[in-house]
Amino acid sequence: MILLEPHNVIIQNTLSEKLVKPSSLDVAFVDYDGVRFRLSTPEKKTQLLLSMSIRCWDELVKYGALDILGREYGAMLLPQAEPEYNVSMLIDLEQAPQEPDAREAFVTSISLFKRHAYAAPFERAFQTQKELEASGAQGELMQVHYRDEEAIYVQAAPDRVTVIFSTIFQEETDGIFGKVFLQEFVDARRQPSVQNAPQVLYSTREPPLEIRHVPGLRNSEDTGYVTFVLFPRHFAPGVASSTISHIQLFRDYLHYHIKCSKAYMHSRMRHRVTEFQKVLNRAKTEVATGERRTVTGRTMVSR
Amino acid sequence: MSASSVSRAAMSNVLRPYLAAVRSTLTAALTLENFASQVVERHNKPEVEVQTSLEVLLNPLTISRNENERVFIEPSVNSVRVSIKIKQADEIERILAHKFTRFMTQRAESFIVLRRKPVPGYDISFLITNTHAETMLKHKIVDFIIQFMEEVDKEISEMKLSLNARARIVAESYLTAFNA
Amino acid sequence: MALLAPIICDNGTGYSKIGFAGNSDPSFVFPTAIATRGSASSASRAPAVPAKPGHLASKRGVEDLDFFIGDEALANVKTPGYSVHYPIRHGMIENWDHMERYWEQTIFKYLRAEPEDHYFLLTEPPLNAPENREQTAEIFFESFNIKGLYIAVQAVLALAASWSSNRVTDRTLTGTVIDSGDGVTHVIPCAEGYVIGSAIKHIPIAGRDISQFVLNLMRERGEMATVPPEDQLKVANKVKENYSYVCQDIVREFRKYDEEPYKYFQRYDGEYSVTKKPYSVDVGYERFLAPEIFFNPEIYSSDFLTPLPEIVDDVIQQSPIDVRRGLYKNIVLSGGSTMFQHFGNRLKRDLKQLVDRRLDQSAILSGSAVRSSGVEVDVISHKRQRYAVWFGGSLLASLPEFYTSCHTKAQYDEIGPSICRRYQIFGSAT
Repeated sequence: MILLEPHNVIIQNTLSEKLVKPSSLDVAFVDYDGVRFRLSTPEKKTQLLLSMSIRCWDELVKYGALDILGREYGAMLLPQAEPEYNVSMLIDLEQAPQEPDAREAFVTSISLFKRHAYAAPFERAFQTQKELEASGAQGELMQVHYRDEEAIYVQAAPDRVTVIFSTIFQEETDGIFGKVFLQEFVDARRQPSVQNAPQVLYSTREPPLEIRHVPGLRNSEDTGYVTFVLFPRHFAPGVASSTISHIQLFRDYLHYHIKCSKAYMHSRMRHRVTEFQKVLNRAKTEVATGERRTVTGRTMVSR
Repeated sequence: MSASSVSRAAMSNVLRPYLAAVRSTLTAALTLENFASQVVERHNKPEVEVQTSLEVLLNPLTISRNENERVFIEPSVNSVRVSIKIKQADEIERILAHKFTRFMTQRAESFIVLRRKPVPGYDISFLITNTHAETMLKHKIVDFIIQFMEEVDKEISEMKLSLNARARIVAESYLTAFNA
Repeated sequence: MALLAPIICDNGTGYSKIGFAGNSDPSFVFPTAIATRGSASSASRAPAVPAKPGHLASKRGVEDLDFFIGDEALANVKTPGYSVHYPIRHGMIENWDHMERYWEQTIFKYLRAEPEDHYFLLTEPPLNAPENREQTAEIFFESFNIKGLYIAVQAVLALAASWSSNRVTDRTLTGTVIDSGDGVTHVIPCAEGYVIGSAIKHIPIAGRDISQFVLNLMRERGEMATVPPEDQLKVANKVKENYSYVCQDIVREFRKYDEEPYKYFQRYDGEYSVTKKPYSVDVGYERFLAPEIFFNPEIYSSDFLTPLPEIVDDVIQQSPIDVRRGLYKNIVLSGGSTMFQHFGNRLKRDLKQLVDRRLDQSAILSGSAVRSSGVEVDVISHKRQRYAVWFGGSLLASLPEFYTSCHTKAQYDEIGPSICRRYQIFGSAT
């Protein structure tokens, strides 16, 4: 598995299961970026209540998350969220489509709950860019503080949309590995196959020009900024939604691969260490084991 | 002959005298005898570790290949301590070397001669006592240490290469997905 | 950010149970299997990629990301180029390379959790080597940078799971755990949260044997004639899971069935997975005979003949004398093969008989008029038995003490993997 998937597997599995055989349940689970979910059947076995809590919900609402969720889920979205959660929807299993294909699409769309919520700033930026094409001004800088110390900044300009991720690595090894990875993101565009990809910039310490005026930016050695420059071809009608799903998962993708490379290093080291072990074992002298007998054939036993 | 093997051959020419020096010094240092502690009755301790009787300690010796790579050999009457400083050209090699030596010392139990903690200023240390020299073949212990020195550099640079290669693939696959 | 729920990972020989603390059921239950690229023979020696470190082609790629776990692994058995491995043997992790990658995908693909934000509770079998714990800690702290780790013994978690039963009033961690999964059944005595290792006993009869036994019985009766051969074991499994129960007296049960076969015989309807042709079989005596192999093993096997109650009694008798009462009083069932109806009652009755007989005998032998006040024997069965170990973990990890009992990343960085040798129990009321 190289790329991460945008949908939540637990929602997908549970829903497909319950569509076949409804039963009561109450489970809480998570998704990337500290998103919490709760799936329960408060009243009837056929009515599932799915609630989501997002750290930066208020920011997302400001950028139109409710409109997107309303567009995707319509009447399923509840006006009042369950306590301790930001947004809830009620899924009536009896209302679900019957045909296998439509049913699958229904389940998939619900399992993209988090993705749709996070799509808000991106969709707005894509739209703003079109409006700005004529005027030539800069769009609003949208900030999404999706983790404690990390944030996404999205800004539309007349000819492009800039997405900036601030990154911070908790651990030294991660930081060093992360730098190697991010450098490759910057360099990768030299490859002919990725010429059309968005341009990537990476800087440590110095925040990029677009966000330099934002108050409270950390300026320490371990902070870095990754800038993606999206051109209109990246959010043309056909590809916009996949671009959004994809760019949302950037941080998780990066961290997933840092962890995978550490796991790979571990398996290399394990192999190497056993090799060294073999070399050292060659130094051990063979202890003479074999029975020793006397002339008459009796065995000598040491006591 | 490809370019990489040429450079490897050239490198090993520089490496060879260094390793040869370590080998002969180590072989000479490994003349150990069973020697009871002069301080505590009925105890037998590696003198190089306890450092209590100065008269049984021999002169320690450093063999340097360059400022970043050196071996420190401390002989004594019943034990020899060998400490190695592994080449670390940059931050990545430093962290990889650290990870590797840590991984190995974690398994020190099965590497009889490995010291659980390196001597300050070095990356990894070995402690060979007279018991080791008696139960194991001396020249094979030396072989092991030499082979370790040879391969650890190779392993670390390979790990670094593979990290870079990996990063490239990861970045490319992420970015190509935008074209889809 | 509010603390996110700890992740509970119970990796067993056959199945892994994975989910979040606070839930009553694991979110994922799938086989502990990993399908990797490369032939089975080469991969068993060393990981496929680092096997030949000098080789340039092998370094270039990310071949080690090309693998599947769980059900997807089994689905890829036939895919050319893949081979399936089981990294855990007899409860212990054998192949760390595979296990590390298994965890990697569990976390990132299935749980979709950022490990840096979570505490983890893992399980280990009784008598696990401390080196294994250290290796586990090394993987979780160094590869995944998790916040905190707690490694619990499976039997102790099973005891904790029994607190959910309304018959349990004091939350004690003293008791005997009967853990019966697919491969083997363990009887494990625990005193105050610590396993009494010397007294553990294993029984080579478990779920797989019961299914086989049901299959044998139904074949003998000729019921399986209509069932296609590849479906037979599946049918036997279904019969075991859905129709079987433990009876109190075999002879009487046989008579009951013979007098009123229509009342007791049941029908199982199935469909052949290939041709979609329906078939049906009569389910009869195997309903009560299947679990009977725990109590009368001679009906199934000829090499293992000791009934389960006797084993339990032996185990407790081999434990220190001062905990025996506690062990008799709190016998806890765990695992799918203890789910049969009335299993607990039967075990309790048989065990009680053994204990009372011994008490009577000692009264006669001592010749004294003083009689023992008796030993209380109780077997606890509860609703969460099937995934008892996982559930116990979920229960413990939702206690506030969990966070203080965990080994944290900071502690690990300070001391190293050896911190995991220390094992702190918590949560019990006594």
